[in-house]
Amino acid sequence: MLDRLRSMISGVEADFIDIRYEIKTETNIGFTGREIKSVGSNKTDGYVIRAGKKGGFSSVTVTKEEDVPRAIQLAVEGAETIVATGGKKSVLAEVPVVVENVKLVLDGDPREISIDDKIELLRKYNDLLLDQPLIETTNLTYAEIGREKHYVNSEGTAVSEEILTTNIAGEVIAKRGSLVQNIRIAIGGADGYNRLLSREDVFLKKAQIAGQLLDAEPVKGGTYNVILSPMLAGVFTHEAFGHFSEADIIEDNPSLREKMSLGEKLGSDVLTIVADSTMRDQIGYYVYDDEGVAVKPVTLMDGGVLTGRLHSRRTASAFGEPVSGHTVAEDMRFEPIVRMGTIYIKPGEQDLDDLLQELGDGLYLVDGKGGQTSGENFTFGAQYGFKVKDGRIGPMIREINIMGNLFTTLQNIEAIGNDMELSERGGCGKGQLNIKSALGAPHILIRNMVVGGA
Amino acid sequence: MKKLLDIAARVSDQAEVFSIRNDESSLEMRNGSPTDLSASIQSGYALRILTDGRIGTAYTKNLLDREELVSNALNSLKGRVDAGFSFPGPAEIPASWLPDESIASMGFHDLHSRSRKVLDYLNRKVDGQIDVNSARGIQDMAIMNTSGLNVSRKSSFMYIFTSLLFPNTETAVQKLYQSRKSGDFPERELDRLVDLYTSGLPEVDIPTSRMKVVFTPDTLYTLLWRLSVAVSGKSFYNRVSPLQERREEKVLSDKFTLYGDPTDPQEVDQHFFDDEGVPAKKHTVFEKGVFKNLILNLDYADKLKEEPTGTGYREVMFEGETVALPPVPSLNCSRIAPGDVSFEDMIRSIDRGVIVFGVLGAHSGNILNGDFSVGLNPGFYVENGEIKGRVKDGMVAGNVYDVLKNIESVENKLHDSPMGGMFPSILLNDVSVAAK
Repeated sequence: MLDRLRSMISGVEADFIDIRYEIKTETNIGFTGREIKSVGSNKTDGYVIRAGKKGGFSSVTVTKEEDVPRAIQLAVEGAETIVATGGKKSVLAEVPVVVENVKLVLDGDPREISIDDKIELLRKYNDLLLDQPLIETTNLTYAEIGREKHYVNSEGTAVSEEILTTNIAGEVIAKRGSLVQNIRIAIGGADGYNRLLSREDVFLKKAQIAGQLLDAEPVKGGTYNVILSPMLAGVFTHEAFGHFSEADIIEDNPSLREKMSLGEKLGSDVLTIVADSTMRDQIGYYVYDDEGVAVKPVTLMDGGVLTGRLHSRRTASAFGEPVSGHTVAEDMRFEPIVRMGTIYIKPGEQDLDDLLQELGDGLYLVDGKGGQTSGENFTFGAQYGFKVKDGRIGPMIREINIMGNLFTTLQNIEAIGNDMELSERGGCGKGQLNIKSALGAPHILIRNMVVGGA
Repeated sequence: MKKLLDIAARVSDQAEVFSIRNDESSLEMRNGSPTDLSASIQSGYALRILTDGRIGTAYTKNLLDREELVSNALNSLKGRVDAGFSFPGPAEIPASWLPDESIASMGFHDLHSRSRKVLDYLNRKVDGQIDVNSARGIQDMAIMNTSGLNVSRKSSFMYIFTSLLFPNTETAVQKLYQSRKSGDFPERELDRLVDLYTSGLPEVDIPTSRMKVVFTPDTLYTLLWRLSVAVSGKSFYNRVSPLQERREEKVLSDKFTLYGDPTDPQEVDQHFFDDEGVPAKKHTVFEKGVFKNLILNLDYADKLKEEPTGTGYREVMFEGETVALPPVPSLNCSRIAPGDVSFEDMIRSIDRGVIVFGVLGAHSGNILNGDFSVGLNPGFYVENGEIKGRVKDGMVAGNVYDVLKNIESVENKLHDSPMGGMFPSILLNDVSVAAK
């Protein structure tokens, strides 16, 4: 395959050209309530071409091999147009030429498991949810996504890598009268099928919480001191801080770029944040990114001081900072962009009880329900929470969304727990989906968060 | 397509082939200069087969091996997914309009010059950062089935989407221009955007309290998303809709009428059949606050023993590969019926309130129950009929069934929304606003 790709880009009149060919395989099974709603395995493929010429850079994606010559022509034309119209000059940071074929290592290869066995596993967890009190229905899916990637560039790099993620995810819905409450569930990873087995405890707990939410009070809007659970603190880390660590997000906003200068003290002393996609058992794991650069761990913040950033070859050059191997596409329909992979807050020394005592009065908010960022403003939802009075956990609350300003909030993180949890499923939607966006943290205590409520 | 359908027909009771091809290019200009120029030529095929009341599905983007695609659908059939519906037969469908030649031939330079015009015009009026994104595209879509349906449509679009960023932030006021033919952003719309930007420049602190809230066309999807889930056949079939058993009841303000109309000539994506080949027509969901109709695809129409509503589309809220997605109930080309006040008069009528121009986190929270809690990004504070500035760190929250019972007024004009559909601004009474 690599030889075919080499021949496709040979002789092209450009300063740089690369081509990525991918075969994508998907197996999906879906239940809604007790009813199986979908079963299928599919395979498809496509090409992504990027060209650089005279400082211009452009990309084209095509499905069919017969369209590749046209795509190359369009990419070169696009690069020339960028230059002709006074657009951004792009220089790619130098990286080692690599020729490698990365093999997949799995603890249980899902492709060797029959579709009937996968249906039965999903049905077992689904029935467990539906058998709990107050549960009205479920939406639960098994998803297995494989990407067989082949990358070649005009500098001589030729890398093949296969990645495979599996997960069981969805929601459990409780209902009483017209009140409906849901809790999200996700188990899975990039290290094989076996991590999906014997996880009944996760499903049981989620169904119980969904039922309990029917008796929870909606939170009252206002400003609170809060403790975030590991998964919710992970959402904060990803949404609020992590996206600002992606060089392409801040590149063209001069004021934000200045605020995010390396060496700036942006966070409280207790805060250290790391992006590390080299941990083999995490969903964010990969070896080479989608421009053939080996991924490296990056300490983004150390003791509150900004120390690193995530880059493509182009942004690394533009910022004069090291490449990090974080340029990733959803699949063959997209050009790669700067993505986080696995991001987390390093654990501190206090346990949850210590944090609750330090909090005194406030809210304890648990698990994430989606988030979004726009510049330095962020918002994210909590699946549920509890009022805290005098350091003691009180009644359950629901309908919780938090909003804040990144720079203020980083300074307001007062304490970091000594526990740690990482997500088992990705799903960041920065223009394209990243199913390998792992996030995590210990419990953290933040002062003065705006909480929207009824 | 025909060959694929013939192969599938030989091994099933009924079969359907859906195909799509998109040819698109886009330009991103950030802070005054081109930053990204890209193009895509993408195709795809989806196959559905029905046998003995069960459905099998398969898709590929690149139809290299028809037998393999049919084999995947047959394997899917073994999953025993129930499907009692039949594929629709031939229907009288008006000829769709042909893609505009001016868009088919539009190159990178044309996209750039139209974006540049917007940039230059705005640069003469404001000092802040201006971003302009533009794109053009041609789409071919076709559906054939063994009941004799053979329909296709070609469409074309272009858009220019511009953002005026407030100093030292990524928070912006934004405006979309879109068309089926090549065209330029109307200057009067850009002038209106400049006026808004200027009035939002000061930052203001407001206390947490209940007040009037205006949802503008760009932000109404926050509320409509929750309603759409509640009136979907899927929610009704699974008995989890808050509107269960409330058909023909007045559940919202009589100022609120919601419908979808893909046949509207104003619609850039005008079309006459949905993604299952069912004829599309004006479909009213709420009329003067009364809950009238569900949104159904073929599957849920059959399960709920109702007539198909021409609202089955292969889509999800964000992105997604069309051919990989099953048709789901979805209200396309949605509209809220206009009211009787101008936007300016609506603002003048507010003693104390917030205008929501952008939201963060519309996808968070308990959507099925109708709850929303979104960050203002931005939201403008109004006092005694005048905009005082944009709110610092604010959120607006509530339940869609409560706030839409309490509509003060509806704007007399519809505007294109970047999230799809055309809407007026809506002024709501007594909504919770949280702020620092």
